Amino acid sequence: MIDLIIKNATQRKVRTILTICGIALGIFALVVMGAMSENFGQTFEKSMSLTSDKIRVFAQSGIFGSGLSEKKVSDVRHVAGVEDAYGVFVTLFDEDQFGMSGKQVLGVPPRKSRNVLEPVELKAGRFLTAGDTYGVVVGKNIAGEYGLDVGNTLELNKKKFTVVGILEYTGSIFDSYAIIPLDTAQKVYNANNSITYIFVQPAPGVDAELLARRIELSVKGVNTISPNELKEQASESLLIFSVVTISSAILAAIIGGLSVMNTMLMSVAERTREFGILKAMGAENKDIILLTLGEAALLGAIGGILGIITGSTATYVLNTWLASKGMVLFIITDRLLIIAMLFAIFIGMVSGTYPAYRAAKMSPMEALRHG
Amino acid sequence: MAEQILKVKDLSKTYMQGKIPVNAVRNVTFTVNQGELIAIMGPSGSGKSTLMALIGCLEKPTHGKILIKDVEVTAVSDRELPRIRREMIGFVFQHYNLLPSLSALGNVELAMRFAGINKKERLKKAEYLLQRLGLGERLHHRPNELSGGEQQRVSIARAIANNPSIILADEPTGEVDSVTRDKIVNIFEELRLHGQTIIIVTHDPEVAKHCDRVIRIKDGTLSHE
Repeated sequence: MIDLIIKNATQRKVRTILTICGIALGIFALVVMGAMSENFGQTFEKSMSLTSDKIRVFAQSGIFGSGLSEKKVSDVRHVAGVEDAYGVFVTLFDEDQFGMSGKQVLGVPPRKSRNVLEPVELKAGRFLTAGDTYGVVVGKNIAGEYGLDVGNTLELNKKKFTVVGILEYTGSIFDSYAIIPLDTAQKVYNANNSITYIFVQPAPGVDAELLARRIELSVKGVNTISPNELKEQASESLLIFSVVTISSAILAAIIGGLSVMNTMLMSVAERTREFGILKAMGAENKDIILLTLGEAALLGAIGGILGIITGSTATYVLNTWLASKGMVLFIITDRLLIIAMLFAIFIGMVSGTYPAYRAAKMSPMEALRHG
Repeated sequence: MAEQILKVKDLSKTYMQGKIPVNAVRNVTFTVNQGELIAIMGPSGSGKSTLMALIGCLEKPTHGKILIKDVEVTAVSDRELPRIRREMIGFVFQHYNLLPSLSALGNVELAMRFAGINKKERLKKAEYLLQRLGLGERLHHRPNELSGGEQQRVSIARAIANNPSIILADEPTGEVDSVTRDKIVNIFEELRLHGQTIIIVTHDPEVAKHCDRVIRIKDGTLSHE
């Protein structure tokens, strides 16, 4: 039967090619958007696994909120079950006001830099130490983008910093961090001793969730984000991002599917007489459905393969270009490719169902009188 | 005495043309013996083609019975009808009705495909039949590369491919010149010699001359046999 399907499809070449292009475009969008979503998902998973046991303490907003200070850090440190607590100042890279690249400057007490970054290891150099006023430890992406090695200079807010360490590649948000001493960060960014959040390391054997609640009860004017809450919040943002990207891609693929339906309806109308002949020769309804659905699925499959090839190529080219800027935006996974391919065939077949039904229900005599 | 291969009993078919009923075939009764070559003749609109469609199980009668080899095909379910058409009927149409995307060989082979015959056997038989009908050099030509007479020969090969009980030919010589017409009639005569039952709907008295019997139809009823 496949030989008949191919012969039918190749009889009207231009129309078949245009239909395949419609599907391919939809699947292209699905692959590109999906690859972006996969990348965010994986980065998120890795980031979560690297920060799983830490608690973040923020200033409570509203009338009782009063910002975070060293006094609050000390209060938190004295809550039972807290092994250590220290203020962290976070800001975006100055040339990157919208935070699109995800690059961040982290001000941390120099001697705690290892703890903040734990369990990420160094690829080269060392962590910050007490004397490093203008020292910086950079993530792999930043090192890559600025071509940095230990001993090189990185300019942050017009101040020169010497690179003392480079982190190993993690595939997480850590790759986009520049870590400098807290005091220096507050000074360079005119932040007036301000602290963005307090980083809490629970004592061994202490449940992080319970400790987070205890900190909120013991220290006034603070809110905590426990590891689980952080995960929930991030999952929500990730879900919204995925829904937006994937649904726009699915919409594109459905439009491609409509072009298949249009083509198949035209093809069925033109071949009415042929179906009559086939039925007179003893073809059953299932044979007619197989021919029509098979052709729709074939168009979907070829469109899918083309969409996957062009989509993968586009993400590869974009990734190569973005790599020079220290960014990775797309990850093509096996899962994504399988979903895209199945979706292409599914769209083709769903779009072919109605035309196939129309072809099958024709009376053979009426079909033979046609045209 | 030859077996009665086709029995048509009190057959009627009424169409609705809008709200007006049209009696295309009315109380038609006749029988056809195995190996007969029969002509059905009548003016345009007399119900010949409807009668052919009913015998060929392409349409269901409003009333009456058709028995082919003692199987009451008018009582067979819609699901079973394709099998009846495959095994008992071979169609030859006025406009040949070959599939344009397939070669001569492909068109003949396709008929056997629905009967579940394996590819090797299908191709072998299709080639044999086409060669027998003088189309050995035209096996891989598509319909648009064949003359009218050649196309009709392909359609005859297709009709006999599944060894049907009856061949129904609707104006098979309607679109060809007199020389080609004679060749086609000769093929039918030769098939009859091999015991094939053939019913030809025709306007052409020259074709009817070669038949064993002529069934005349007018206004949906048989005028005389």
